[in-house]
Amino acid sequence: MLTIALSKGRLADQTLDLMEKAGYDVSAAREKSRKLILEDQNAGLRFILAKPSDVPTYVEYGAADIGVVGKDTLLEEGRQLYEVLDLGVGKCRMCVAGPASLKGKLDEIPNKRVGTKYPNITRNYFEGVKKESVEIIKLNGSVELAPLTGLAEVIVDIVESGRTLYENGLDVLETVADISARLVVNRVSMKMKADEIKPMISKLREALEEGEE
Amino acid sequence: MGNKFYTPDGFTDQVPGFCAFKRELEARLRNLFLMNGYDEIETPGVEYFDVYSRFVAEEELYKFSDGKGRLLCTRYDGTIPVARYAAGRNDSLPTRLFYIENMYRAGQIGGGKQSGFTQAGIELLGASGAKSDAEVLALAIKSALELGITDLQVSIGQVQFFKGLSRQLGLSDETIAKIKAAIANRDSVTIEKLDLSREDRDTLLMITESGGTYDTIDQMLPRVTDESAKEALSNIKEILDIMERYGYLKYVSVDLGLIESIDYYTGLVFKGYTYEVGFPIFTGGRYDDVAKTFGKDMAAVGFSISLTLAMTALMRQDKFTPAAGVKVIVGGDFEAAMVTVEALRAEGTAAALDTTGMTEEELDAYAKAKGIETIMYMDGGEA
Repeated sequence: MLTIALSKGRLADQTLDLMEKAGYDVSAAREKSRKLILEDQNAGLRFILAKPSDVPTYVEYGAADIGVVGKDTLLEEGRQLYEVLDLGVGKCRMCVAGPASLKGKLDEIPNKRVGTKYPNITRNYFEGVKKESVEIIKLNGSVELAPLTGLAEVIVDIVESGRTLYENGLDVLETVADISARLVVNRVSMKMKADEIKPMISKLREALEEGEE
Repeated sequence: MGNKFYTPDGFTDQVPGFCAFKRELEARLRNLFLMNGYDEIETPGVEYFDVYSRFVAEEELYKFSDGKGRLLCTRYDGTIPVARYAAGRNDSLPTRLFYIENMYRAGQIGGGKQSGFTQAGIELLGASGAKSDAEVLALAIKSALELGITDLQVSIGQVQFFKGLSRQLGLSDETIAKIKAAIANRDSVTIEKLDLSREDRDTLLMITESGGTYDTIDQMLPRVTDESAKEALSNIKEILDIMERYGYLKYVSVDLGLIESIDYYTGLVFKGYTYEVGFPIFTGGRYDDVAKTFGKDMAAVGFSISLTLAMTALMRQDKFTPAAGVKVIVGGDFEAAMVTVEALRAEGTAAALDTTGMTEEELDAYAKAKGIETIMYMDGGEA
């Protein structure tokens, strides 16, 4: 029996589509209900639906063997996992954004205040890559408000189409990382349940490659 | 200040029953280590920060200062204090030491992972070579079996193998870092995309997918030209030979991708896994350069097993029996009860004495509540 942690929402459906294509019976997980654990004894699969940012936690502690989660969450949480496959869905960018007038002038602001839902990614980027100290303001949503209200000069956030940014007079200033959904595996499960997990990884990889062709 | 009626985050009480079970496990390991010629050592639990600063991230150490303002930290692992001790002495080598102690690790992200936990481990100091490596690996496996963990998988790797291979492939430091991360993540996609020859990429992919025993070594050998990488493979081979003689080959698989371990390892590295816990229950390896930090050139190899994780595994595998408390209580007439209870104890029966003057009914109810099976109520004058 393999326990698979899915990120609630669109990513869960995309993952199930891929698993179906790889030949797995995921009808149990398709069931529309409020159940949080969906189990199919015959298929040997148990699905748990978790908040995306909790998926790496379930997998790291071994409560789930496998998980599907965005690279953004993995970067933010910094968990000890095997990150085995890029599923190529949920593509977006982690960006530094701010007023369009700051384009190309980001480095001119000393002691920036940065609003973000991702304090660790933000710290790693500014301290690790750009070698500068910043004041990080942790926010929980509608991060675009921060530069508009003067709470922060810039933000670090996920950008998909960029529409929210443009409509509010903001723009992408720098790209921190490319993001997509990843298949992660618990390090112990990889050893103890290799007979189930390794074939699953190669089937999913084949299904992905077919999709590309 | 917050509420102080709870244990601090990351720390738990070992409650009766659990504590007794843990002591029982400790006793089994202590006996095992003694039988294998290891002497027990107890380090103080507090070290100078400098002892650890080269090996452990600052955020992971609980720090405070002594009366002279010198920075101290709590014990993070068993290996470093033992290496510090052994490096400061002129004992004839090899020295065999073991410990069973609590470790303290700050900065563990998220709940569930304990900041305070118990490890048992051995260090074989001043001994190099595959036979010494194998002794420690065999004892690690014996320890898990001794605790009742029979669903065991042990991965063994060799730090020198990847170092040698990177040299052979003539890789830049940047590429090495990238490959290391990819291997640690078992991420074959990144390796596929590397700008290397097909053959070299295949070699790297074989690392991420290795998991056999002799076959893994035999497949890898023809691809290796670097001398120290070759030596690393023959080191593993010799260790496998010894494991076979112990009958432990069924637990062991070669994982040449086992390079995510702590940086101080210099040769063999290994990790032991079981069902129902998400982390390895034991880890170990060769760390020939650690003692140099403390002023002595001394080869060393060791391992530690987490009793805390082992207990979790045993519980989840339904192999845990909380030890029962006292089975007998003696009450009633105090003089008579005292004589009786001492007689029982002298015979080797654990027995409690009622010191609060309970009536027979009260004692009955009390025993029931406590799960005490036998009640002896003494009438005055009869004893």
